[in-house]
Amino acid sequence: MSAGPTESKPATHQHLRRNPPILGEAEAIAAAQAGDEKAFETLYALHKRRVYSLCLRMLGNVAAAEDLTQDAFLQLYRKIGTFRGDSAFSTWLHRLAVNVVLMHLRKKGLPQISLEEALEPSQDDGPRKDFGGRDLQLSGSIDRVTLERAIDDLPPGYRLVFVLHDVEGYEHNEIAEMLSCSIGNSKSQLHKARMKLRDLLRTGQRKETAV
Amino acid sequence: MTRTRFGETTLGKTIMTCADFQERLPELFETHADLSADEHLKTCENCAALVRDLEYIAQQAKLLLPIHDPSPGVWENIRTAIRNEQGSKGGPLKPPVPPAAGR
Repeated sequence: MSAGPTESKPATHQHLRRNPPILGEAEAIAAAQAGDEKAFETLYALHKRRVYSLCLRMLGNVAAAEDLTQDAFLQLYRKIGTFRGDSAFSTWLHRLAVNVVLMHLRKKGLPQISLEEALEPSQDDGPRKDFGGRDLQLSGSIDRVTLERAIDDLPPGYRLVFVLHDVEGYEHNEIAEMLSCSIGNSKSQLHKARMKLRDLLRTGQRKETAV
Repeated sequence: MTRTRFGETTLGKTIMTCADFQERLPELFETHADLSADEHLKTCENCAALVRDLEYIAQQAKLLLPIHDPSPGVWENIRTAIRNEQGSKGGPLKPPVPPAAGR
């Protein structure tokens, strides 16, 4: 996987819906590229929440998430001169933040499974099939906290693809580029993540009803 | 409920199994196909429940918009680090621009 973002193909319409242009962003980018600290601060104010949120979801720890948010924006400062506007700035910045998170997870040795393992398709690692379990239905029963907790329990590779696609709204081609994996791999990981989440949520429900 | 783990053939017509259906599921979701008209789902409550759950999870995930900001100290640290980087180079605040870059 690459250590920094590279320019990508033009954004799709779907992508533009999820990442609409932000008023004043283009001017702030140009000014920040010219060395204007205030403009860089504006970019930070515009994007800090999404970058921090990604870091927090991936690490589950406020202090570590703030450290990585700081790293991501320092990377942005060093690389902003290479942004040419071929893709949405938020996508470009997110890719950069994802790389910071991935490098951190690699250094930590990934507590649950290796990211490479999670992102590498394996022939006998397809989504588990479901041929039973008619006792519970999730619809209407999950609150935000429960879902957030279940997402935290996903293996990092699944969690990253799930957050990028289902929460952040990125397309598989964008995720594939961010993670340097194939589009098919991204789709496969997303399906596995949703299946795993369903398992986790149903298990939680069973425990609640058993109490 | 029809539980069809293994392929079945009735009067020469092949019935899709749960395994077959679930194998196709990622692609069906991806293409936003109308699953309510799917023949297998009409007869398999188990797979119908699975689809309902997965659609529900994806819907709920969209509502998990970021709601927390980093503490103000994060920007202070970033600004200090940038100024330190610039200070060590002895110049004004200016992002390094690679030779080949630019608009």
